[in-house]
Amino acid sequence: MLPFLLTSGLTTGALYAMVAIGLVLVYRSTGHINFSHGELFMLGGFFAYSLIMFAGLPYVVALFLAVILSFLLGVISDRLVYRPLIKAPGLTMVLATVGFSYLLKGIGRYFWGGKGEYLSIPAIVDPAPIFINDIPILPQQLIVLGAAVAFMVAFALFFSRTKAGKIMQATSENPTASYLVGIRVENVYTWTWGVGAAVAGAAAVLMTPLTLITPDIGATLLIKAFAATILGGLGSMTGAVVGGFAVGLIEQLASGYIDTSLQEIAAFLVIMVVLVFRPAGLFGVYGQRRA
Amino acid sequence: MLTVKNLNVWYGPTEVVRDVTFEVPAGRIIGLMGGNGAGKSTILKALSGLVVPRGGIIEFDGKSLVGRHPRDVVEAGMVQVPQGRFVWPGMSVRDNLELGAVTRTDKAEIRRTIDEVMTLFPTLSRKSGDRAGQLSGGEQQMVAVGRAMMSKPRLMMMDEPSAGLSPKVVEEMVAAIAALNRGGLSILLVEQNVGVAAALAEEAHILANGELSFTTTGRQLATDPQVIRSYLGR
Ligand SMILES: Nc1ncnc2c1ncn2[C@@H]1O[C@H](COP(=O)(O)OP(=O)(O)OP(=O)(O)O)[C@@H](O)[C@H]1O
Ligand SMILES: [Mg+2]
Repeated sequence: MLPFLLTSGLTTGALYAMVAIGLVLVYRSTGHINFSHGELFMLGGFFAYSLIMFAGLPYVVALFLAVILSFLLGVISDRLVYRPLIKAPGLTMVLATVGFSYLLKGIGRYFWGGKGEYLSIPAIVDPAPIFINDIPILPQQLIVLGAAVAFMVAFALFFSRTKAGKIMQATSENPTASYLVGIRVENVYTWTWGVGAAVAGAAAVLMTPLTLITPDIGATLLIKAFAATILGGLGSMTGAVVGGFAVGLIEQLASGYIDTSLQEIAAFLVIMVVLVFRPAGLFGVYGQRRA
Repeated sequence: MLTVKNLNVWYGPTEVVRDVTFEVPAGRIIGLMGGNGAGKSTILKALSGLVVPRGGIIEFDGKSLVGRHPRDVVEAGMVQVPQGRFVWPGMSVRDNLELGAVTRTDKAEIRRTIDEVMTLFPTLSRKSGDRAGQLSGGEQQMVAVGRAMMSKPRLMMMDEPSAGLSPKVVEEMVAAIAALNRGGLSILLVEQNVGVAAALAEEAHILANGELSFTTTGRQLATDPQVIRSYLGR
């Protein structure tokens, strides 16, 4: 049973990590937690669903289109929610993004359900498990894991190698210094929201062939990603990735060895335990001065 | 080159800068002095476009810069080295410098400017791969000045470049600023260190409670620092 739990733990963990990356990206750059991040994930999944089921596009094409649409959705949330409130107090932003999450959820329900039905994309590859050393592994899981890792590597390269990535990092490290050299900081924020949403959308598209997607899935995903960022250390990219994998594994192992009901609440337990015993998380930059 | 007339800046209900008027002629070093909270940094923020003044004129080479985006100010040829240095701590020295040139496009030219920075501050060339946050205070100040040089400015505003540095490093910084000025750069120098201001500025304006109280020459600063010290409140 262990190898099976490990592969599914790593697969879901990779997806949590991707959702967490978007959360951390926006947090680092703007100092705000985007409470509508889970709904961006949800809509990304539904975009892909419609593109595949109704427009009949191949999966890979749908993946890229859904990522682009998610990016645009992120840009819209910047323009609609963040930029008008850029100087408002933190609590205002919390309420605004929570409110926005309900709006997005409403849109999801209106177009893709609301009567409780669950949608899923047909598997991309043969759903039958393959056996490696007698361990059953779903090929789909391998694809998801590989794609998620590829996305994360691309993301890391984007930040360390490209000028756009460096500009985003500079803006998050010190916005005033960024303004002073002539960076259009507001536009960087727009890009940040867009890229954050795009990564969430990509995670959703990778996940939908594995599990079901519903208009209400956003809150669940937000909690998992939040647990990942708290565990990894709020504000740390590496922490988000490590935390994502860790939460995925903890969930699977706890439900496999202790009690299946733990799968649902493992993320909450992680948040509680970390906040009590190690509030800064594993790679914590929490409490560091923001200029 | 830079003309500031009747500049007024408010933070919410508080007036912080009142009717400040001065000029920075091309090629000169002009000092701006005053005690803590006098409004020096606020003036530089208004000039850089970080805060929008409530009233007054800011003209650079005849072009109004009031209420413009900080990028427009940099593109016009005016750049600020902020108080507290504000290097990007997690990025390498080289990346800090390269991003100082975001407003420029010619890669070969940018590389030449990096060489100029490294010549002015040889220490930086030895540490170009280090994270800026791990450098000493003096080295970070060099990064901050170097980063500002990267936009090829014609006027540089410096906010307390000597603050918190050891006497030896202050001397190096003074020499570097003087060298930049000899190369044709005009400088608006905010300082609390009378010695530094006296060594560099031909003329200094003394600010108290957001208003210019008087103007003096660098020579007077050097010969009678006592008067100035009393204005700086120490
Ligand atoms: N963002 C702000 N909001 C409200 N008041 C501010 C703000 N920034 C500065 N002030 C106030 O404006 C006044 C001038 O501040 P400023 O930073 O310009 O002073 P300064 O001359 O640069 O002082 P120092 O030598 O300590 O750097 C101070 O009374 C300060 O408290
Ligand atoms: Mg100041």
